[in-house]
Amino acid sequence: MTAMADQQEATTPGTSRERSRAISWALDRAPFLVACLMLVVIVAIYGTLQRDVFSLEEINLDVTATLTLLLAATGQTIVLIRGGIDLSIGGMISFGTVLAATQFGSDPGSVLLWSVIILCIGFAVGALNGLMISVLRLQPFLITLATWSILSGISLIILPTDGGQVPAFWSGFGGAQFLGLASPVWLLVLLMLFWFWFRSTRLGIAIKATGSNEKSAFLSGVSLTRINVVTYGLSGLFAAAAALYLTTQTGAGSPTIGKDYILPSVAAAVIGGVSLFGGRGSLAGTVIGALILTIIGNLVFVLHISSYWQPVASGVILLLAVLASSIAEKAARSDEQ
Amino acid sequence: MSVFWARNRLIVLAYVAMVALLLITARFSPGFLSESNLRSTLVLAAFVGIVALGQTFVIIGGGIDLSLPWVLNCAAIIMTLLAGSQDLPLLWIVPLVLAGAAGIGLINGIGVALFGVPPIIMTLATNVILQGLILVYTGGSPTPSAPPLIEYLAVGRIGAFPVIAILWAVLALIASLLLSKAAFGRHLYALGTSRTVAEFSGVPTQRTTILTYVISGLTAAVGGMLLTGYSGQAYLGMGDPYLFTSIAAVAIGGASILGGSGHYIGTVAGALVLTILSGLLPALNLSSGALLVVYGAVILLTVAVGSETLSDLGGLLFRRWRRD
Repeated sequence: MTAMADQQEATTPGTSRERSRAISWALDRAPFLVACLMLVVIVAIYGTLQRDVFSLEEINLDVTATLTLLLAATGQTIVLIRGGIDLSIGGMISFGTVLAATQFGSDPGSVLLWSVIILCIGFAVGALNGLMISVLRLQPFLITLATWSILSGISLIILPTDGGQVPAFWSGFGGAQFLGLASPVWLLVLLMLFWFWFRSTRLGIAIKATGSNEKSAFLSGVSLTRINVVTYGLSGLFAAAAALYLTTQTGAGSPTIGKDYILPSVAAAVIGGVSLFGGRGSLAGTVIGALILTIIGNLVFVLHISSYWQPVASGVILLLAVLASSIAEKAARSDEQ
Repeated sequence: MSVFWARNRLIVLAYVAMVALLLITARFSPGFLSESNLRSTLVLAAFVGIVALGQTFVIIGGGIDLSLPWVLNCAAIIMTLLAGSQDLPLLWIVPLVLAGAAGIGLINGIGVALFGVPPIIMTLATNVILQGLILVYTGGSPTPSAPPLIEYLAVGRIGAFPVIAILWAVLALIASLLLSKAAFGRHLYALGTSRTVAEFSGVPTQRTTILTYVISGLTAAVGGMLLTGYSGQAYLGMGDPYLFTSIAAVAIGGASILGGSGHYIGTVAGALVLTILSGLLPALNLSSGALLVVYGAVILLTVAVGSETLSDLGGLLFRRWRRD
């Protein structure tokens, strides 16, 4: 936050055009840089309390622990950049784990088939969210709140309590290593590669433009219905992927686990500099945000304080990040006027 | 008459739906219309209605309160822990809990109104923080049973009427007067319709917004404390179902989620509809999961009925029909 203020002050002598360009540069980058700084500080604190923090093993452990949140947050990031929000991932993650734990069986073929089916369901449910938001012209949170409730209900009908199981090779996924890095780390690399490709595709640019200014994006020929269908579809797809990964960690299904990821997915993105008002942000920031949340969890563990402090800490950090971005947004708007 | 219809169409529809549901349920489970069953339905609806009261105010003002579940839960746990099943300490505990709940509402309201934080994020964050704090505070241990006075308020009766139904009626009267007669109500509708216009017309928009969240915190706390009297004690997660039901009750009651319209009279019907529905499903051998599906579908359906697209479509069909 202070970095942002400094940059804004430093540009005051320039002409108004240079100034507004500098401000928009600062607004684009500053939250991300602040998040990086925060991660460094937290890792430093963690490093003084725990041995062997700066090792390959620790990276493997942290990424393995973060990946469910990160996958969920990837979808949320896309939706937030478009200027919406997706609460239905809470239902989709539960539904995905429940389907996996009850349908997988032990045959690799059926595991593969059902993984594809679950991912397709994720995309379809998300696309339906997007379609309803467009056709009914309603606020995203309301539509996704309703689908959250419906998906949770279906999950509870299929599997009333935590249970079911997945085959052994499936739960062994997180432990597999290649070149000293665990498979979740390679998934993270894949995810980043996807993002660097995706953000410069026509679709990626259209999503960002729509989040930045819906009207001008529409006037430039972007179909808002199509954008909504694809963004929420992707969010559902990533929620389903998060569910599949989660079952490799827990080895079982849970009809209620999804709701624990709604707020953290938004938090990871916002801490990493994704704007809640659309148009700004990147997956790199979300990765940093998700790592911050995970390492705070580690800190709580190392400090031997009650693990219940972790949600409190992440809630407070989220509020601080949101406050900072709201104030910055207000400043930018009043500057434009 | 036509003005009344245009303004209150959705509220009237909610009451029609309620009567229809009542008759359908009576067909499937014959004992449903008995005096004792109607009374217990009314008691359960009162909890939903009281918790949804604050939500109605917040939604009319154009916001949403997702912190209800753990405000309710914290109020219930703190009250039972401090009271230790005694009536006398309630004299200071109830004001204390209400002040705390109002404080949470104040924080939500300030975040939304002064700092421009989107209501969903603000209230979702306070919800998670409260959940963590109360778990730290109690360590997850069970609480003593509810004081007898609270139990009387929740399940007692005066003549044929449950005490809580009378409480609910009083609260409904106050809420209706606030909405229809007080300056606060006029400000609230103005704010929900258009923030900018309201501001230029001299409506104290920030104060009005903050007040809605304070009311929401208060009614959630009242609902939580009363609920301990019904279930015998406070337990973790007791507030979770009220997230969906409070929003669904308001939506069924005809308030536009975009703000600016609706009335608590509609929410009362919404609370009754939801409670009758939750009585109908077990009669059809459906589980609690089915109830969540129905809540979601009901929210989707009611907002679709109230949405611009469908009313545009309705208007179009109507004009076509008149031309023929």
